[in-house]
Amino acid sequence: MHRVKVISGHLSSYPPQGGNRKCNINHCRARAAVSGPEDVVVVHGRRTAIGKAKRGLFKVWSFKPHSNSVVCANVSLSPRCLLTLTNITVCLTLAGNVLQPGAGAVMARIAHFLSEFPETVPVYTVNRQCSSGLQALFNIAGAIKSGSIDLGLACGVESMSLQEMGNPGDLSPRLVDFEKARACVVPMGITSENVAERFGISREKQDAFAVSSHQKADRAQRSGRFEAEIVPVVTRVTDAEGTESTVTVLKDEGVRPSTTLEGLGKLRAAFRADGSTTAGNSSQVSDGAAALLLGRRSAVEALGLPVLGVLRASAVVGVPPDMMGIGPAYAIPAALEQAGLIVADIDVFEINEAFASQAVYCVEKLGLPLDRVNPNGGAIALGHPLGCTGARMAVTLLHELQRMGRRGYGVVSMCIGTGMGAAAVFEYPGP
Amino acid sequence: MGVKVFRSPARHGYAVEGSPFIPTRLACAASQYYGIAGSGTLLILEETELGIALVKSCEWSDGLFDVAWSETNENVLAAGGGDGSLQLWDSSSNHSAPLRVAREHTQEVYSVHWSQTRGENLLVSGSWDQTAKVWDPTLSKSLTTLKGHEGVIYSTVWSPHIPGCFASASGDGTLRVWDIKSAACRLAIPAHKSEILSCDWCKYDEHMVVTGAVDCSVCVWDLRNPRQPVCQPLVGHSYAIRRVKFSPFSRTVLASCSYDFSVRFWDYSSSQPLLETVEHHSEFVCGVDFSLHTPNQSSVLEGFRVP
Repeated sequence: MHRVKVISGHLSSYPPQGGNRKCNINHCRARAAVSGPEDVVVVHGRRTAIGKAKRGLFKVWSFKPHSNSVVCANVSLSPRCLLTLTNITVCLTLAGNVLQPGAGAVMARIAHFLSEFPETVPVYTVNRQCSSGLQALFNIAGAIKSGSIDLGLACGVESMSLQEMGNPGDLSPRLVDFEKARACVVPMGITSENVAERFGISREKQDAFAVSSHQKADRAQRSGRFEAEIVPVVTRVTDAEGTESTVTVLKDEGVRPSTTLEGLGKLRAAFRADGSTTAGNSSQVSDGAAALLLGRRSAVEALGLPVLGVLRASAVVGVPPDMMGIGPAYAIPAALEQAGLIVADIDVFEINEAFASQAVYCVEKLGLPLDRVNPNGGAIALGHPLGCTGARMAVTLLHELQRMGRRGYGVVSMCIGTGMGAAAVFEYPGP
Repeated sequence: MGVKVFRSPARHGYAVEGSPFIPTRLACAASQYYGIAGSGTLLILEETELGIALVKSCEWSDGLFDVAWSETNENVLAAGGGDGSLQLWDSSSNHSAPLRVAREHTQEVYSVHWSQTRGENLLVSGSWDQTAKVWDPTLSKSLTTLKGHEGVIYSTVWSPHIPGCFASASGDGTLRVWDIKSAACRLAIPAHKSEILSCDWCKYDEHMVVTGAVDCSVCVWDLRNPRQPVCQPLVGHSYAIRRVKFSPFSRTVLASCSYDFSVRFWDYSSSQPLLETVEHHSEFVCGVDFSLHTPNQSSVLEGFRVP
């Protein structure tokens, strides 16, 4: 900063004889540039592989006597792998979940004990639909910022094998009289059709985006890019004859490298007869879990722990429920403004691919460079275990920024059913 | 004047100097991010019929702010860095590391100059740590450290005539003339009321020195009569003067470059001193040097252009 002062001293002081000066010195608004002991930092993040719901390797757990344990184990595995140092006591654990009753509050407490957390550490769960995993992270960050905790664990977990979407609970019958209220129960696939139609996102564009997601995910898998972030899960599988065996799940199951534009073109529209949204250009129904350890920088440094990332902004915005997919197009600018950054400053965008229609819309609306969006694939190829996704994307983002090997910025964003969008800005401080 | 352009992506040029041996060769000290942060590169460039080619580039871990060719060896150069170091480089070697690194200055080295007086083979460096140091050509250890300036030193230039004598321009608003044998300041002229960013000696008259300052003016001084400049200050630039250089061919012609993106040529003996304004640039112009070999040519360095 000394050099900036010296050089700006050359420019600001003197009026020339008869010249006209248009030079203004504007101080940089980027709060991202300033680091301090109160920063919320991410120490560590891990995730399980994402399994295909109902047909994949995680579904088998539903047949086990402790049928809740698949979800419990998913939550438990992620925190356990983070506890490489036994002297860390987390102050709070938060799990994002959507489909379990009460967002899985009891499940989470049980999972906590299965992970050998002491009873003194409190737990709660949070449901903001598809953003729940990220919301868990936001809530931990908020508790750190308000001073009530030093260290926290933010997780996201979902088993779409065990629970289905489709039970929104007890809704007021008056909802039919109010347009926006009615729109909250519009099926997600119809919101995708609404976005495609309203903004002219063609079937071809959606399919091309889907192919790209699979290709990027396949490349990432084959080059071992996910190895650092995936925690192996050991599970027992029963085959058609009823024979049980033990498998270790290491790879995201949903990736289909053989996906082609022609192949996708043959699929029928899934939600509306004349529509463009198909199973092939939508996110997959999946099982998975992810977790991140966060802390106040001063507490993290006092423990001698590394800093993988710094949370620089968090934003959640509301959008029309019947077009919920446009959420990121509004949440991302809000988060960037908070961080004092612009699109060009961001090295990687992780945008949830709930549907290709909305993902393409958001990328085009914000003018995001395609080579910086979901470089390792997205939910179309990898899957979208609802409550897990937000945390999963943060884990994948931070590992990708770390791989770039220098200071950089990333964004995690997703649309939210019932009409919202969430976005976070992370900074990777450099090796 | 034909303009040849060399672009160095992601580097901003701070200084350019023509080789005293090879007419078509230039050295350029460049830094990342306008020299405010990041690393630096020393670029050795060759002017060809088709344009300007890169001969070699040497990386340094901090910005590089000035470069000086050796007067005795056509392959050797010295550069001054933002980390307070001076490095000696060999443009003909395959190594990426410098021949030698001297780390005595405690702040940015903004100026480095190789003595041109016959018999003398010395370097002078000027630093933001407010000292100037004199070195032998191996850069092993400084021979003298000269203190006296009360502000950062921006420029240190050997007299081409007087052995053991150099001038310095400082943020304290003074032009000082030093004698290294007595390690003392011979003359301190409060030349401007603002920071002086550059100075240079006349090649024909050993008493004449030019200064360029943040107050956007260029002043010419006769050291025998230092109370006032020899003529009215040369004005016309609308931002601080970044560098001034006397012409090697004409007694009273000099060039100045400025943060106002232009280079101006002046004849201070004329009643209309401004000869020419060159506005090819789209970035700060940081360096200017006259080519000794080609009378009508000068190399001007801007952000990243060397026409």
